[in-house]
Amino acid sequence: MTPLSRRAFAAALPAVLLAGCGGGGDAPVRPGTTASSAHVPAEPVRPLERSVPIGLRIPAIGVDTPVIRLGLAADGTVEVPPVTDDDRAGWYRHSPTPGQVGPSVVLGHVTVGAHGDGVFRHLARLHRGDRIEARLENGTTARFTVTAVRTVAKADFPTDDVYGDVDRPELRLITCGGPRVGEEYRDNVIAFAALSATGPATS
Amino acid sequence: MHRTILSAAALACSAVLAGAAPAFADDPTAVPSAPPTASTPGPGTEPSQAPTPSVSSPAPAPSVSSPAPAPSVSSPAPTAVPSPVAGQVSAVPKGAPDTGAAGPRSSGGGAGLVGAGAGAVLLAGGAGVFVVRRRRAATGA
Repeated sequence: MTPLSRRAFAAALPAVLLAGCGGGGDAPVRPGTTASSAHVPAEPVRPLERSVPIGLRIPAIGVDTPVIRLGLAADGTVEVPPVTDDDRAGWYRHSPTPGQVGPSVVLGHVTVGAHGDGVFRHLARLHRGDRIEARLENGTTARFTVTAVRTVAKADFPTDDVYGDVDRPELRLITCGGPRVGEEYRDNVIAFAALSATGPATS
Repeated sequence: MHRTILSAAALACSAVLAGAAPAFADDPTAVPSAPPTASTPGPGTEPSQAPTPSVSSPAPAPSVSSPAPAPSVSSPAPTAVPSPVAGQVSAVPKGAPDTGAAGPRSSGGGAGLVGAGAGAVLLAGGAGVFVVRRRRAATGA
């Protein structure tokens, strides 16, 4: 190989190496588990009137999203929000509205396929005591405090714990988590929260 | 003179390949996104309209946890206007929610490797042609 050929290869080799480094940049999902025991807010808060949620804010994990309504699919499973680039959370409309007595259920994606991360991508990072704000259609805000965060296998989904009756206003935030099995996640991440305050909407 | 021209051509090809391969790996516009609507469920899900209540229907809808007398086993579908105050969750869904559409993690890495491999092959071929032509020019063949 002549000196000129060596120079050409020397110039081209870094370019090829750089090209090979272009892909595969998405980091694996690592939701983690932060199971904790239930925590009851110090004082009971007066429940709110029924009003559909229109927004959800979780400062601890940087969530501030509109909320859509979800129902039941034909197979009896709960609907999930659309898989879009700018996905949002969805309130299960057969559950109480946030602030009413009972478990109000809100779902969101952890990932949205080729679009990347979902609105609840960091839900597993919530801890007991973190705040959640649900903006309601009537202008009020229901403020919740996280009482527990659980990561459970989908095969053992705790239906009673999530949808069962309770004696106070509570909130359930649900997404997927754990390792991927094929195109799905093995687990669900569920954040349980209880109403801690109510008030006018904050900007 | 020829050396200068050929060297410049080799560098230009390398730069083009270096720019093209990452485009193979991380093309964010590969999948079109449907504009989100206020109440439209995502692909793979049914419309959000709940099943119509039917007294005689044994449809495999979810069981009802409501203590209210209205829903029963024979009519498990939710009422048109749920009353969560009385029954809290008026229609309990089946199974676990599928809230994690897995991303193309593996395909992204594969595209990167394909791009890098194609770039390496093209570069090697161009270098070979370059060397052969230089030797022919040097020997006058």
